[in-house]
Amino acid sequence: MVKPLSGIRIADFTVHNAGPFCTHLLSQLGAEVVKIESAMRPDAFRKPHPVYGRMGPATFDQVASTKLSVRINLKKPEGAELAKQIVGISDIAAESFRPGVMGRLGLGYEALKQVKDNIVMLSVSSSGQSGPDSHFAGYAPLFGAWGGLGELTGYEDGPPVEIRHVMDHTVGMNAASAVMAALHHRRATGQGTHVDVAAREVAASLVGEALLLAAAGGEPKRIGNSHPGMAPHGVYPAKGEDRWISIAVRSDEEWRALAGLIGGETLIADARFSGVASRLANAAELDRIVSEWTATQDANEASERLQQAGVAAHASWTTPEIAADPHLHARKAIVDVAEPDGTIRAAVGVPMRLSKGEEIGIHRGTPKLGEHEDYVYGELLGLTDARRRELEDAEVIY
Amino acid sequence: MSDSPLNGLKVVARASGVAAAYAARLLGTMGADVSLAEPPQGTPLRREPPFLPDGVSALFAYLAAGARSRVCDLDGEDGRTALGALLSEADIFIDDTPVGRREALGLDEAAIARRHPDLVHVSVLPFGAFGPKADWKAEDINVQHSSGEGNLLPNGLAVEMFPDRAPLKIYGHFGEMQGGIAAALGALSALWVRDEVGGQFVDIASQDAGLAVGAFAIQRLGDGSIEHRVERSFRYGGVIPCADGYLEMLTLEQRQWEGLVKLLGEPEWALDPALEDSLERSRRGPELNRHIREWASTRNVDDIVEAGQKLNVPLARYKTPAEILRDPQERHRGLFQPVEVEGAGMLDMLVSPFHFGGEALALHGGPPALGEHGRAAAEKAEA
Repeated sequence: MVKPLSGIRIADFTVHNAGPFCTHLLSQLGAEVVKIESAMRPDAFRKPHPVYGRMGPATFDQVASTKLSVRINLKKPEGAELAKQIVGISDIAAESFRPGVMGRLGLGYEALKQVKDNIVMLSVSSSGQSGPDSHFAGYAPLFGAWGGLGELTGYEDGPPVEIRHVMDHTVGMNAASAVMAALHHRRATGQGTHVDVAAREVAASLVGEALLLAAAGGEPKRIGNSHPGMAPHGVYPAKGEDRWISIAVRSDEEWRALAGLIGGETLIADARFSGVASRLANAAELDRIVSEWTATQDANEASERLQQAGVAAHASWTTPEIAADPHLHARKAIVDVAEPDGTIRAAVGVPMRLSKGEEIGIHRGTPKLGEHEDYVYGELLGLTDARRRELEDAEVIY
Repeated sequence: MSDSPLNGLKVVARASGVAAAYAARLLGTMGADVSLAEPPQGTPLRREPPFLPDGVSALFAYLAAGARSRVCDLDGEDGRTALGALLSEADIFIDDTPVGRREALGLDEAAIARRHPDLVHVSVLPFGAFGPKADWKAEDINVQHSSGEGNLLPNGLAVEMFPDRAPLKIYGHFGEMQGGIAAALGALSALWVRDEVGGQFVDIASQDAGLAVGAFAIQRLGDGSIEHRVERSFRYGGVIPCADGYLEMLTLEQRQWEGLVKLLGEPEWALDPALEDSLERSRRGPELNRHIREWASTRNVDDIVEAGQKLNVPLARYKTPAEILRDPQERHRGLFQPVEVEGAGMLDMLVSPFHFGGEALALHGGPPALGEHGRAAAEKAEA
């Protein structure tokens, strides 16, 4: 039993979050990911991030873990040549610069095909490699705004909402599935391809049903926590400061179970809530009744009781609750990783369990800049120590 | 690329929820032949809102576009035989039957592995098929709140306006769809080693997938800070109300701030030398936003975005679905394709956010009618 992607190698030029999360997922599935970096433009996690309260480099970076690190100054022609040598021994080349940048560096798809004719190249960008907006720079909240996910998320009477890192990371996970499809195609046909993932289109793909409704003349709008076919459906106050519980009732049977816990036979028999149409019509009153009850309940205990009664419910979990959860630990969705000084901290694993691939997941921390050059430049590329020193002196390996 | 990347791959899906159906949709759009194995009354997704004008489920139409529909009534022997025949031809089986009901239907891990040793068997459930919560049920709102992001939204302007309200879920089926995307990735990864190890069981939880895309909160926890929806708002910029709608503004780099100052017309407040320091800008974020919002309130979104993009200021219009449908960028990219949706006519449907070899993918068609591609034990359903 081996990690499924053992033997796959990725030349990883990606920066920021979306692209690196894609290659991070593939690295946990067994791919050998060579992260190409430079001291000239260190990755964000190698610098302080005062806005987030981190005053030095990150001691562990989720999306860089399990990757190898080599330094290349891509601004130098010899740097681009060295990068091509890595591509030449790789299955995948991944990048997330603005469209056109790889081409200007001499590392566009056609150039990479020259060194590896069946290379799968992944390009992740805000608006895609083509079209009038392809040059646009963007960050996660902009992808959400362009793609409709931001406009549709929000309280009914409030403004749209910024979609944050989850936006970047879903782009990365989507890209990982597209790259896998391209690998299967390569295996079937011998042909590589260029995979072009547009972040704003990923945002739109997550509201495809609303876009279809609009195509039919409908006008989907923000609806807060409510649902057009379920009531009660929402996030209700629980006992304690800033504590909440999410509850969703789909069927009459579920409603009777919830009503039994809240108000017994009287509420079960209340004709205002006897079918889904009545519950939707009286949703405001229903929410008031449910809130009055939940406000007296511990969010986690109430969730347990509701689940036992057959009602979909879950406390609105904070990050520490998630990091400590036995279920997520049992599934290795949360794993413990060691910092360089031995401190243990929680990290997020790859979101799947494989019956014949139990070894998947994070198996190495965050690489130091250039940590794996002996392996990559020495063992894999066969560069002599003298040649490597020359390239360092010329600020190519830099 | 002249053919779709997954041409020749056969997928069977028993999907009553969005996550499993979305996994099949992703694989189907990339070229796989997808058969939905439905109960005689059809998957419950056919009855899920939102609805198109003629009562057709827009959600089902989107998720099932290009798939085949085969009725397999697993309460009867014929239906089970029919499903078994489908699976014996298939590469991937995607199933969201609750764990507790699988054995009785012959759909448990061991039974499938015994009968179909080369099949990649993908289980897609809210909390997975293994672990103390494997039996728990969840709608999308519960998935989002069990995986972290639910508690962390809204941020920015919305939480500023309504600080005491309940946290807010992302629209639609964001959490469940993450499960679907992880399932597609898991299926293709397991399939990659099938020649060496045979088929295997892939256990997907939408909660795990939602947590994975929310990994940054766990990262920050390890760095020593706990995210909260109020504190994680951008200090300035963010959602900016304009005369005719909203725009998103985010200047993370120095040159982007300098572009913004130009865009604003270099007003005196923005030329304060202290604001050249990014930390000072963060500290004075509310003051900056007062000025920015006042300036934007009398201007139209598109005018600001057009001028700003020329100055390399990251700006985007908060687009409505109707605006996205007619956007020249999305049109150029072939993001939408007209397909026949029975009962609603020809409609533009989102195809895929991926291009392969410089080309958009294509849908094989709209959603299938129930049993359009075969029925087993249909007599029983009609009885």
